[in-house]
This record gives sequence, C-alpha cells and structure tokens, in this order.
Amino acid sequence: MDEDLQISIDKLPIKRLDAIEESGSERFPSDVGYDEKRLNLIRRIDFGWAVEREDPSKKQKSEGTTSAKESTTTNQQPWQWQSLVENLQLAHQELSVIIDLINTVEANDAVTVAGMTRPKQLPNELLSDLAVSTATKLQCFRHLGKYFKQSATALEKQVAREARFYGALIRLQQNWKVKRHRLVAAASGNEGFYIDLFYNSLHDTSSSLRPSSMSTIPIEHDTAGMLAVNLPPNSCRSLQFEFLGSHSANNMRRSGETKMQALSEDSSRETIKEHANDDECVRETHSLLREVHRAIFDEQVFELVSREACNSSLSVNLTGIQENYLRLSINQGASVSISLLLSSQDNKTTGAGTNHSETETVPSELSDVSKFGEGKDNVKKLGLPNRISFEIYLQQLFHEYVFVKVKNKTTSSVRSQITGQQSKDNLNILDHFCMSLAHRIFSNKVLSELENLVCRTPYVQLISHPTWHSRTSSWTLSMKVPQSILHAGCQIQSSGNSNVKNVRSQFWTKVVVIDESISVEGEGNPNIVGLFNGKPESNCPINRYECDLADLPIILLQHVASQVIQWLHEEALTVGIKVNRDFLSLAFELDHGEIASLVAHVDPEDTRGCISWWLTMDDGLTEDHKLHPDLSIGESESRKYLGHLSLDVLYSTLLDFVNLCSF
Amino acid sequence: MNKGGAGLGGGAGGGSGGGPTAAAAAAAAQKQKTLLQRVDNDIGNLVDNFGFLVNVARVNDPPVRNSQEAFMMDMRAARMVQAADSLLKLVSELKQTAIFSGFASLNDHVDQRTEEFNKLAEKTNGTLARIGEEAVASLKDLESHYYSSALRTSNPPEP
Repeated sequence: MDEDLQISIDKLPIKRLDAIEESGSERFPSDVGYDEKRLNLIRRIDFGWAVEREDPSKKQKSEGTTSAKESTTTNQQPWQWQSLVENLQLAHQELSVIIDLINTVEANDAVTVAGMTRPKQLPNELLSDLAVSTATKLQCFRHLGKYFKQSATALEKQVAREARFYGALIRLQQNWKVKRHRLVAAASGNEGFYIDLFYNSLHDTSSSLRPSSMSTIPIEHDTAGMLAVNLPPNSCRSLQFEFLGSHSANNMRRSGETKMQALSEDSSRETIKEHANDDECVRETHSLLREVHRAIFDEQVFELVSREACNSSLSVNLTGIQENYLRLSINQGASVSISLLLSSQDNKTTGAGTNHSETETVPSELSDVSKFGEGKDNVKKLGLPNRISFEIYLQQLFHEYVFVKVKNKTTSSVRSQITGQQSKDNLNILDHFCMSLAHRIFSNKVLSELENLVCRTPYVQLISHPTWHSRTSSWTLSMKVPQSILHAGCQIQSSGNSNVKNVRSQFWTKVVVIDESISVEGEGNPNIVGLFNGKPESNCPINRYECDLADLPIILLQHVASQVIQWLHEEALTVGIKVNRDFLSLAFELDHGEIASLVAHVDPEDTRGCISWWLTMDDGLTEDHKLHPDLSIGESESRKYLGHLSLDVLYSTLLDFVNLCSF
Repeated sequence: MNKGGAGLGGGAGGGSGGGPTAAAAAAAAQKQKTLLQRVDNDIGNLVDNFGFLVNVARVNDPPVRNSQEAFMMDMRAARMVQAADSLLKLVSELKQTAIFSGFASLNDHVDQRTEEFNKLAEKTNGTLARIGEEAVASLKDLESHYYSSALRTSNPPEP
C-alpha cells in the first residue's frame, strides 16, 4: 500500500436532466447536435396549411368528391356565414402559428425577432377598411347633425319665448312704469323686472302717502315663457261706501274683480294659439294692472279720509274705527261707513248675503241691522241717496282735489265749490263730502214735503231747478191761473170794463236749500206795514226768509193761500168789486153793509187737500172782521165751510159776489 | 348692429338727461365696442368651428385618428352651440337695454296718450253736461206734462 494514490476526475457533463428515478438513476437526454436541434425546433412549426394552399388542385379534387357525395346525400344551401367562419378559422390558425413562433423565440434566447412587417393589404381589404372608417365618420356627422338640430330647436324656442316676453313687456311699458331690480336679477336668475304703480303727486310732505304693498309688481315667466303677473290672492281692496241702517241690495262690485280669477289660468294655454293669447295676455295684464292701480288709489283715498276724519270737525263725527273701516256720523241722523273690502273669489252671487261674506271688518252688530226688504224701506224713509253715486263722488273729490291739483295749478271746479260754499280756508274734502251728503238727505226730505203739498194742491205745480251744485237745491211752486179764467177775464175786459186788467196769471214761490238751511222766497204775503195801515194792496214785495223743515209746509201753504187771495183781490178789483184783503182772507162789502169774507184755511195734515175755504158773514159792526176767525169752532150761521175749492170755483164764487157787493 | 347702436345712443342720451356729455358718450361708445367685439367673437367662433368640422370630414387611414377626430368634432359642435347661446344672450341684453333706453319715443307716446285721455275726459265731461242738460229739459217737460195732465187734475189728491 505504499503506492501513490491517483485520482482522476472526469468532467461532469453539463446536461439538463430529463428525469430522475426513485432509485437515483438519472436520465439525460440524448446528445443532439446544434443543427439537429434547430431542425427539430423548425419542424415544430406546422406549415401544413401552406402546403395545402400551394396545391389547390388537390384540394378541389378532394372537395369535389366530397361535395358530390354531399350533394347526392343532401340538397341544403350553404350557410351565408360559412365563408366568414372559414376565414376566421384561417386567421386563427395564422395567429396561433405566430404566437407559437413568438413563444419559441422567447424560450430560445439565441433567436430574437428582428421585426415584423404587415403584409401588404389587398385592394378589397383596403376598400373595406376605408368603408368602415367612412361609415364611422358618417355616423359621427349624423350624431352631430342630431345635436345641432336639437340645439337649433331649443334656441329657436328660446328666441320665441324671449320675443314674446320682451314684446309684451315693451307693450306694457307704453302705459306702465317698468323698472329693473338688478340685485334680484342676479340672485334669482330672473330678469328682475317689475312694474311700479306708486304715484305720489303730493309734494307736500305732510300729505305724502305711504306706498302700498302692491306698488311694485314683479314680472315673472309662466310655463310658456310669456310674461305673467301673479298677485297673491286677496291682495286688492276696493273702497265701499255704505249707509248704516240700510242694506244695499245692489251689491255689484266692480267687474274687474272677476278678471283676476281668469288671469291665473292664462299660463295653461296651448302654444298653437300663441298670437291670439299674446294679445289677450297683454290685454288682461293691462286690466289686472289697472285693477291694482285702482285698488292703490282706493287705499290712498281711504287713508286720506282716515286722516281727515280724525281731525275734529263740525260736520262729521268719527264714531267707529277699525282696520280698513271707518264709521262716520253726519248731520240729519245718518251714519255712513267707509271701508276697504277684499275682492273675494267666492263673490259669484249678488244679493243680500254676499256683502256680509265680503266684509271682514264690519262689526257683527252692524251687519245684522237690516235685511234686504227693510233696507229699501229705510232708504225711502230716511231719504238716503244712491250710495254708489256718493262712492263715486268721494273718489272723484279726492282724485280731483288731491291728485290732480299738482298738475292743474288753477283752481278746479271742486275747489271753487268748496271755497264758494265755505269761507273757511281750512275746509277739508271730507267735510265738504259729508256736508254734501247731509244736504242731499235733507233736500230729499224737503222734496218729499214739497211733493206731498203739491200732490194735495191741484193748482200748484212743482218745478225743479237743478243747480249742479252739490250743496244747493232749488224748487219753485208755481200757481197758474187756468186758461178758462183768463179767457173769461178777457171777455169781461172787452165788455167795456174801465178797469185795466192787471192781473197776473202766474204766481211763484221759490224754495232754496243751501246745505241744511231752507229759504223761501216769493210774493203774496202782504206788506206788514200796509196791513196795519189798512192798505195791504199797496205793496206786496217779494219776501225772503228762512225756516226749518217742520215749518216749511205751513209756510208754503200760507204763501200759496195768500197768492190765491191776492189773485182774487186783483180779479175783484178788475171787475169792480169793493174788497179788502187780509193775510188769508178777502172781505167783500155787501149792499147792506154786511161783510162777507172768504177765508183760507191751511192744514198740511189734511189728506183731502191742504187749503180749504170758509165763508164768514159779519155785520160789519165789530172790529173782528179783520182778524182771522176761529175756524176751529166749526160751522155756524155766520160761518160756512166751503171745502177744497179749485181756482175755477173760487173765480165763480168771486163773480157771484158781483151781484151782492156794492161798487 | 345699427339698431343696437341707436339704442345705446338713445340710452346714453336718456341717461344723461339734458344731453349726452362727453363721459356718457365715451361710455356708450365703449359699450358699443364691447358688444360688437362680443358679436365678432361669437360669429368667428361659429365660422371657425364649422370650418374645422368641414375640414375633418376627410377619412383617414388609422382608426385611432378617426376616434380622435370624432372627439374633436363633438368639441367643435359644443363650441358652436355655446357661441349661438352667447349671441342669444347678447340679443337679450340689447332688448333689456332698449327697454330702458328709448325714453324719447316713450315720452312722446306718453304725451300722446295723455293728450288723448285729456280729450277723452273733456269729451266725457261734455257728454255728462249734455246729459245733464237733456235730463233737466226732460224733467221740465215731464213735470209740465204731469201737472197739466188729466191724471192729476181728475184724480182726487192722494197723500
């Protein structure tokens, strides 16, 4: 064992291990050369399809045999997508080859892909690609076309909406003040237009009125784009004047109130009738604005009335005040109410009940005062005039005297009426109005008395003289001698009577009422001095004096009776009868010294006639014949009741005395 | 454009009251220039974008470029619509300016209407006076007829 140990090392072969068994033996692949390896890899690529394509003849023959077989067996038509499927399969095969090649190249680091060139496309492939691109672009343009159409339609609608809106707004601007609130426009997105209805022409700061809540009306768009003016419900109030104690049956409110209901329905009209609706819409907006303008005016009038009512006055007494309600007591025992009523949408009926539903602020004790039928009687009894006429008069007074005076520097007719009627400089309009109202009530009473008298005195006529003054009324009681008597008088004159006929044919008594004072003017009453001197016929001037309503009937009857006496006296003188005239009696001197007197008796309460006549006989020895006989004693031997005689009968009676009297 | 200019000039005149001052005239001219500039820009946008749309109608080979052009077409169309909307707003502004500008014609119209209403008021007053006179005459006739009628003379007096 002394020999050297020799170790020989063999190089281990670097080989990939194919497999290793459980026993530990290893298996290595067989040694393959580089070229052989390359060939093996190339062989992995299947070029069978290329071989088959290069030999199409073989393929057709084989197909011909198969097709013949198929045609003999089945007569089915080829599926239309068969060629597409085959092309896709071929493309799939090509792709799988390429993918295999790429994987192989990736697995083998020695080979890399230098580049890939797209195969040159065939013309049909080029055209098909072009067609796809063209179709895609065409689709894009069609999409754009739809977009442009929609945008154009929307813009046209917007243009039409704005044209309607601004056209209507410009038309409204012709009559109303259009303003713009830029802050509102910026905040709300709306244009911020509004209409300013406030008109304060009162430059005097003490009389300036506060602007109403409805002075600014915003202009909005409705669903159709047209301008719309929307007011909150129950925002407009109207002035109402009413007599307390009488219910006004005619409850016709202003017709414009119903228009406000229809205006809210304008926005739902169809676009087909746009042009007609535009004009109607503008017209109705005008009407609505006019109604609001009127409501503002009524509010201002009410405020002015309230201010003047709170000032102490002799002609008007404020007896009740509430929100939007005033109760005034004027002379002649009448009470009136001035209120602002809401324009209710439920006011569809006119009648007794409607007024109560409208009036919110009238106290319940006043609303239950009278009903429809009773109201009419009360109107007649109290002599109340038409309330609507005075409602209009109140508005006209304030409009002319307050709102127009700034423009009209010269005094208006109302002002001249006021200043002419009253000497006070501080007479306000409400005073004038209440005095006019009191005068009207009073004059109605006077007229009823006059008609009552004239109705029961056939030979007296009532002639009205309209003065066109709100606090002055005038009538004339005219007594005309009948034509038959005038003709008879002419005949007597023509028969040779030396006395000149100087008898008038008409007597008049004028009644003038100024405010609440009555003045009676007329001829007929003899001169008092002449009465004492025994010569009443010397002078009968026109007398004028004042009286009150209670004494008016008796005074007028006395006037008329004295005029009849005067006429009879003149007629008697004409025919030559010796007569003496007293206040209401005419004394005839008879042949034997007896005195027959024709005495007038006036009684306003006599339903058969106001003037009756008595015949009294006197022997002429006593002095009582000049005094009025006591007719209340009744008939007696010296006193005979003649009754209610007409002028013809009186004239006949006079002529009967011709034979009895001494000349 | 001319109407807008006239409206602006009227607005300047109305705004200054007695007459267009230099500052008001300069402001009006500047505003007019601004509006014209806006109009030009909008019209230019419309024309340019439409030109782009027409130019891009050519079909290109790469499909990717077609997609890019489709997106650009959408963008150009949106810009065109935006320009049209801007023009519409400009028209609205001009109308609003016209409402608060032409005070001369408005004042003339108001004066004309005032004159018409005054005439109408005078006519109404005349009509009322005539009605009153006719009523007086009718009342007088009726009274005379009534009091001379047989109805009154024959019937016994009634309260």
